[in-house]
Amino acid sequence: MLELGPILSALSRNRVAAILVMLQIAITLAVVANAAFIIEQRLEKMSRPTGIDSDNVFFVQSYGFAPGYDALAVIRSDLDEIRALPGVVAASALSSIPLSGGGSQSTYQITPGEDAPTVEGNYFEIDEYGIEALGVPLVAGRNFRADEVQTDQGVTSKFVPAVIVTRDFARDLFGDEPAVGRQVYDGLGQAATVVGVIENMQGSWVNATRLTSVLLHPRLPTPPIARYVVRAQPGQRDALIAEVEHLLASNRDRVVTWVRPHDWFLDRSYKPDLRMVVFLGVLIVWMLLLTGLGVVGLASFLVRVRTRQIGTRRAVGATRGAILRYFLVENWLLTTAGAVLGILLAFAFGHWLSNEYALPRLAPHYVALGVLALWILGQLAVLVPARRAAAISPAIATRTV
Amino acid sequence: MLKMQHVGKIYRTQLVETHALRDFSLEVAEGEFVAVTGPSGSGKTTFLNIAGLLESFDSGSYWLDGEDVSRLNDDARSRVRNRKIGFIFQSFNLIPDLDVFDNVDVPLRYRGFGAAERRGRIERALEVVGLASRMKHLPAQLSGGQQQRVAIARALAGDPRILLADEPTGNLDSLMARQVLDLLEEINDRGATIVMVTHDAELARRAHRNVHVLDGRVSDLAEVPAVQSVERVRA
Amino acid sequence: MFAYYLRLGLASLRRTPMITVLTIAAIALGIGVCTTTLTVYHLMSSNPIEHRNEVLYAVTMDGWDPDQPWHSDRPHLPPPELTYRDAQALLESDISDRRVAMRKTTVAVEPAEARTDVAPFLIEVRLTTGDFFAMFDTPFEYGSGWDAAADAEANRVVVLSEETNEKAFGGIDSVGRTIRLDGRDYEVVGVLKDWNPTPKFYDLNNGPFDESEEIYMPFALGETQEMQPAGNVNCWKNEQIDSFRQFLDSECIWIQFWVELGSPAKVERFQAFLDAYVGEQKKLGRFPRPLNNRLDRVSDWLDINEVVQDDNRVLVGLSFMFLAVCLLNMIGLLLAKFLGAAPIVSLRRALGASRSAIVKQHLVEVGLIGVAGGIAGLVIAGFGLAALERLYSQYEHLTRLDVAMLGVGLVIAVATGMLAGLYPIWRVSRVQPAVYLKTQ
Repeated sequence: MLELGPILSALSRNRVAAILVMLQIAITLAVVANAAFIIEQRLEKMSRPTGIDSDNVFFVQSYGFAPGYDALAVIRSDLDEIRALPGVVAASALSSIPLSGGGSQSTYQITPGEDAPTVEGNYFEIDEYGIEALGVPLVAGRNFRADEVQTDQGVTSKFVPAVIVTRDFARDLFGDEPAVGRQVYDGLGQAATVVGVIENMQGSWVNATRLTSVLLHPRLPTPPIARYVVRAQPGQRDALIAEVEHLLASNRDRVVTWVRPHDWFLDRSYKPDLRMVVFLGVLIVWMLLLTGLGVVGLASFLVRVRTRQIGTRRAVGATRGAILRYFLVENWLLTTAGAVLGILLAFAFGHWLSNEYALPRLAPHYVALGVLALWILGQLAVLVPARRAAAISPAIATRTV
Repeated sequence: MLKMQHVGKIYRTQLVETHALRDFSLEVAEGEFVAVTGPSGSGKTTFLNIAGLLESFDSGSYWLDGEDVSRLNDDARSRVRNRKIGFIFQSFNLIPDLDVFDNVDVPLRYRGFGAAERRGRIERALEVVGLASRMKHLPAQLSGGQQQRVAIARALAGDPRILLADEPTGNLDSLMARQVLDLLEEINDRGATIVMVTHDAELARRAHRNVHVLDGRVSDLAEVPAVQSVERVRA
Repeated sequence: MFAYYLRLGLASLRRTPMITVLTIAAIALGIGVCTTTLTVYHLMSSNPIEHRNEVLYAVTMDGWDPDQPWHSDRPHLPPPELTYRDAQALLESDISDRRVAMRKTTVAVEPAEARTDVAPFLIEVRLTTGDFFAMFDTPFEYGSGWDAAADAEANRVVVLSEETNEKAFGGIDSVGRTIRLDGRDYEVVGVLKDWNPTPKFYDLNNGPFDESEEIYMPFALGETQEMQPAGNVNCWKNEQIDSFRQFLDSECIWIQFWVELGSPAKVERFQAFLDAYVGEQKKLGRFPRPLNNRLDRVSDWLDINEVVQDDNRVLVGLSFMFLAVCLLNMIGLLLAKFLGAAPIVSLRRALGASRSAIVKQHLVEVGLIGVAGGIAGLVIAGFGLAALERLYSQYEHLTRLDVAMLGVGLVIAVATGMLAGLYPIWRVSRVQPAVYLKTQ
């Protein structure tokens, strides 16, 4: 027996209190559904594969400042020494670091000329060990040869003779056609041949729209800044970082600005998203807690107000279970009413968020999950006061005080 | 002191209309001790509520201490209650988390008296009821009779023109009831006007005059003849 | 009477400890969350140079790609930086009271021979013309900036940040001393006090909340010594750039430019000058896009560059929705509590309390809850911000609870409490005298 009618009319006698809880439920649903959705988005974003062997690579930045500093010589000797260290899989020069917030971007064309359509690409300059050092496996073509690596040490607009591209970039530029062997042109009409394709590699900027449209150019860095990427055997990374730092420190004509694992850059790039996840997570928990407390409060209030009535019902034959059921059903009705309003609010809020802040549209299953969560929360919350109600003695009916 | 003429009060709910008082007329002179009796449901409680300006009435007129209090607004009624009326309820209605002193203090606070004046009045009122030594006690620490006496002190502290008592001994055993009634008589001897509602005939006999209420109106007067005035006996 | 209500309020709060704790907690949580997000938002959106907002202007000119605007979604805005040659040209005008062209680079600092314990370290440099210090009101610990002559002659002088002075000289008055940068000697002419405007309004390109640069030197040195740019460099035109000189002459934008214009008349004149200059350049085939030169004050500049991120705005909005739930919770709790004490209210009314006396009494009680909740909320906000610091890492100055925010937090707390109390107090004021005392 659900006693819907009496429940509804009883609720309407305590209209204000019921409305208060309903509103709480509605707002909580709207916030929790959207917050959970945003959290999932961010977690997904943060779990995107970098494409390189992030667990085992680390990066070095060196700045040569002494007058007459022979950058090329230092780079070559640095890399030779590093490669000789036990535990090093490979080491290469590298112009900038993936997901570090710093890097270079250019436009590329399939045919030369001012009017040809261009595609943007984030490029990294490496030497012939770069593929190995980054840990990006080739899926087509070949690596750079040593003679293809450019060594110009000043400002230059010379292009490189060859490039290696990611699958996504190849798709952007060539569509479904194979890329290896094709020519790529820069804005000045200079051509480079695509010699290889790598599976995937993320570029420099974490919020870029075409994050994985990346190219590799064979070129050594221009002074004064030189960066290297070193790939360690699994488990050896941290020890090698210390060793490399020590090794390079002996040259006092330059500053070794830092030696850092990729994690350092990843953490920094994803900090804003992590912030959002943590904050929203805390908000969700507190909001559910608060609403749960609101439900407990209302139920306790109703139990108190109805004490005499409940005693009387027990006196005329209602079981404890019936009393319990009454409160559970009442709570379910309240939660459902609040949820109906909440669903409207959730989608309205989600719609506004996606328009105002260029976020994707709220996925409906989050709202459904939210409703489910609130049903469960509500029933659990009302359980304690409801059990108290069920325990009210039928003798209350005859008491006069 | 108190003059009600043709007072009527109707309780309306969605389904029923109840005439609690019909054409109710009563006069109480200053210094009288009147008992209002009647069976339950007769309207005597309603009469008391109206007399105490706790409720409004629908028809008739009501003068209290020479003032027409029929159509006063809420604030004015509060003021009159505060200054002119002292209440003694059946359940002693002391505020549980205030001590005796603070309980007696309550109506004085709304009077606007200064701290010294209030203290003086409270001490005097407690002396009259014989509880001056219990000023710091909480109601829970007092017996039923003592609590009622505190309530009486509270009613007296503001020097009201009239005391309205609703079954003042209803919750007390016979010993304490007698003590309370002795106290009421003593207060009356000093010149206070008292109107007491009770269904206990024994109690009613202690008053100067009985008024019997039935079906919302005053029925025939009881055995004790009406008294027009009372001479105050000065000690 | 207020003291009496205060006493009654405290006694009432003590009487129902559970409800009291819950109501205070409800406000505290709401205030804690709101104050936390508001503090970050407030610091992010603050204008660190408010007092000079009316005279400082960022100069931008639209010489960008004719085929697509700089901002695809806001095509009316020019790119945020100028080309080197345009900056040089603007430097020559004396219409503005002051002007500054600047950009970043990096150098290695070699500590004096005596300090062998300190290894050479890399720092960020701001190459700027000399007006920078007066325009942006930088505080000096020792010495001062350099004059126009030093700019013109590209003298090797530097102004150090407090931190650099600490690292290189141990914090002493280093004016007149020599500091070796990238193998060259420079003379220290000034040392700044700790100065980190938040946000870094004068150059928002690489990190609006980054710390200020550590060394300042004359802009012209960037050219004479061919110092590599360390900021954002953007080029739309396909140009042959094979030397540093060609880079300086190119259409690449990488220079920040600000002017100080003390009166509306000067603003007009400078705007006219900009437009005339671009008109001339158009005849030379440059500036293919429609004429669009802007002078933006700091406050507008901060808006245009969208310093406050969307995430922060969303969080502030969500916090207030959370506060709404806290408010609803409070209303329920207060309602239950006040109506639960209705018999006592009824008694007081019978004894002569007017409705307004009852209202005042309960307002004080609600006020107490508001203040207590506000203080507890600020404590929570303190913890929240401390926890956030880990998530803002290098941006510690975004998680400081300043006096203004403390005040705001308390005000919101009391206001929330009052708002929550409105309905419950109205209900309790309508309790009829002695209605709850009828026992028959």
